[in-house]
Amino acid sequence: MPFLVQFFQRAPSQRPLSVCFTLICLILLTCILLSLLIGAGSVNISQSWQALIGQGTEEATFIIRELRFPRTLVALVVGMALGIAGALMQAVARNPLAEPGLLGVSAGASFAVAIALLLGASAATLAAGVAQIGALIGCFFVMAAARLQGQFKDPVRLILAGAALSSLLTALTSILLMYDQRAADEIRFWVTGSVAGRALDHLMAVMPYFVIAALLTLYVARPLASMALGEKVALGLGHNPRTIRYLVMLSVALLAGSATAIAGPIMFVGLVVPFAARALVGPDIRRTMIMCLPIGPLMIISADILTRIIAQPTEMPLGVLTAIIGAPVLMMIVRAKRLPTLA
Amino acid sequence: MSVFDSTSRSYVPAPTGHWLVAIAGYSVLIDKRAIQRNALLSVALLAISVLSLGMGTLSLAPYDVLLALLGKGDSMTQFVINELRLNRLLAGIFTGAAFSVAGCLMQTVARNRLATPGIIGIDNAAMAFAVASVVGVGVSFAPSAMALTGAATATALAFMIGGGSGTRGYRFIVAGLAIGSVSAAVSQLLLTQVHIDVANEAYPWTVGSLSGRPEEQIPVMGLITLIGVLSGLVLCYRFQLMAFSDSVITALGHTPNRLRFAAVVIAIVLTGFAVALAGPVGLVALVGPEMARAFARHKGLPLLSSAICGAIVMVLADLAGRTLFSPIEIPVGVITAIVGGPFLLWILIRKPKRSTL
Repeated sequence: MPFLVQFFQRAPSQRPLSVCFTLICLILLTCILLSLLIGAGSVNISQSWQALIGQGTEEATFIIRELRFPRTLVALVVGMALGIAGALMQAVARNPLAEPGLLGVSAGASFAVAIALLLGASAATLAAGVAQIGALIGCFFVMAAARLQGQFKDPVRLILAGAALSSLLTALTSILLMYDQRAADEIRFWVTGSVAGRALDHLMAVMPYFVIAALLTLYVARPLASMALGEKVALGLGHNPRTIRYLVMLSVALLAGSATAIAGPIMFVGLVVPFAARALVGPDIRRTMIMCLPIGPLMIISADILTRIIAQPTEMPLGVLTAIIGAPVLMMIVRAKRLPTLA
Repeated sequence: MSVFDSTSRSYVPAPTGHWLVAIAGYSVLIDKRAIQRNALLSVALLAISVLSLGMGTLSLAPYDVLLALLGKGDSMTQFVINELRLNRLLAGIFTGAAFSVAGCLMQTVARNRLATPGIIGIDNAAMAFAVASVVGVGVSFAPSAMALTGAATATALAFMIGGGSGTRGYRFIVAGLAIGSVSAAVSQLLLTQVHIDVANEAYPWTVGSLSGRPEEQIPVMGLITLIGVLSGLVLCYRFQLMAFSDSVITALGHTPNRLRFAAVVIAIVLTGFAVALAGPVGLVALVGPEMARAFARHKGLPLLSSAICGAIVMVLADLAGRTLFSPIEIPVGVITAIVGGPFLLWILIRKPKRSTL
């Protein structure tokens, strides 16, 4: 494969985006296929294949259509949302460690969902709006805390602030849950993060938010790229950094909030995916975000497949697996010679 | 009051505000203010303890509590105090002191006051190992030994990955954060793999709780805390040298790495046993030493005041958890998170006055 060797010898920012994108998409397609074929239950791969080409038993067809297909679709959407949210957040905080999950966005969403459950919503009809508001508050709170001190660029302080906020919100959530056994039962399966057992209705309910967030993201991509050159440059090019920052935060809250509402808090995806994307195509935020589109789902779907294989015949929570994958990446970023600032 | 060994030494006046105690060639300076403040703190701890013993579903006046503690009063009160509440109080005092001293020592070693065992993941790792032992065997097969192993593993990993505690304190902390979140994930994973009843039973413990702790572990915890605090106090004068650079420590005749090792070992042992008993109530390790520093205001390392402050925080948090939302009991770990989270934020936001420690 001399072509590939030559390709990877280039500097990341010189690699043609289309080639990278196609490569990752091919891998993603394979993973989607595998995700439809592999399961923790009794239906094995060949039976699944038969069902997939329309000649399988009734049971296998049912499992594929009603269980694995929605699950894969949810993983696809959630992966895209979390990956993009991570990339946006890192660009606006200029901090490679800024990740919605680490910064208390997921904890904010969980807290809001717990309140909603306590007030009588059931997980099935759960309004994604509540989670988004929680995510937004969590998001702004951490950014405000970090700005107050002018420590916006201090990578570690920001995530410590996030950790502090997360522990506070998690504690409040658990108090709420102690008041209500029903809410506790409903949220227990939600809180470790999973894409299993989510119906397509849930996905459809939050789709509009994803569309809005996507439009917002398209709008802020260029200004964000100019902000990477410094706020003064962005001002000179006719963008208002403050407005852009708020728009980005809104978009992050929509994406991370909706994703959390469907799949529960899944940590570290927003850290690993943009990190991988930057390693592939360099630091330009537009190129990074385009690459996050296939890499995000790739990570979640492959992690989801693993959760089915590892603890057979039961499944392992997805959030646990992403934490186990993500934490070493966090360490890797921190162990790099100097903490890279996304200037 | 100065005791001088006049035969071997010439007269050296003690610095103001200190007593010089010299016996057989060894001498220590005792800070008068430290004694005074620690006495005050101890009195406060005693008062809070008596109050805490009196509060609950059966409300008792402090006088009755004291009577019951002395073995007098009616048998009902005696039973409630001595059999039910005293154990819990003692567990709170011992674990609070242990967490807080461990926090103070780790802060000193890392020269960073954010580097408490809770934040660098030692608590969570100890918890994960302890949960593994409970879940794996079905009976609690020495969770404290497992917790200790977990604490040691996490610390070793954090040091290894962080590349030492030295000047890159922050790197050390982030490594610890990562270790902590992996450990928390592993604990969760273990809990999802067992029967729901076992998981429910272990749940309060995994967030940190003093309720229904095994009685026979409490004296052991007391002993460990006592040994930890005493050895910390004995080495206190050397530990406070760690605020200087390594070359200064070496010039003063100590080995920096050996000092660090001793401090970390004490911290690990204290944290491991405390987690095995009360779960990961790590934020006490952040709040306790900070309170001690604010209140004690004496020179050097406020180890003893940290221990007392940690105990006070733990007892107060447990009291709040028992009484505020009754009849529901909030685990002490949740209360400390609600207090400690904003506190950590405040530390991060506040302008640093002088040093990081």
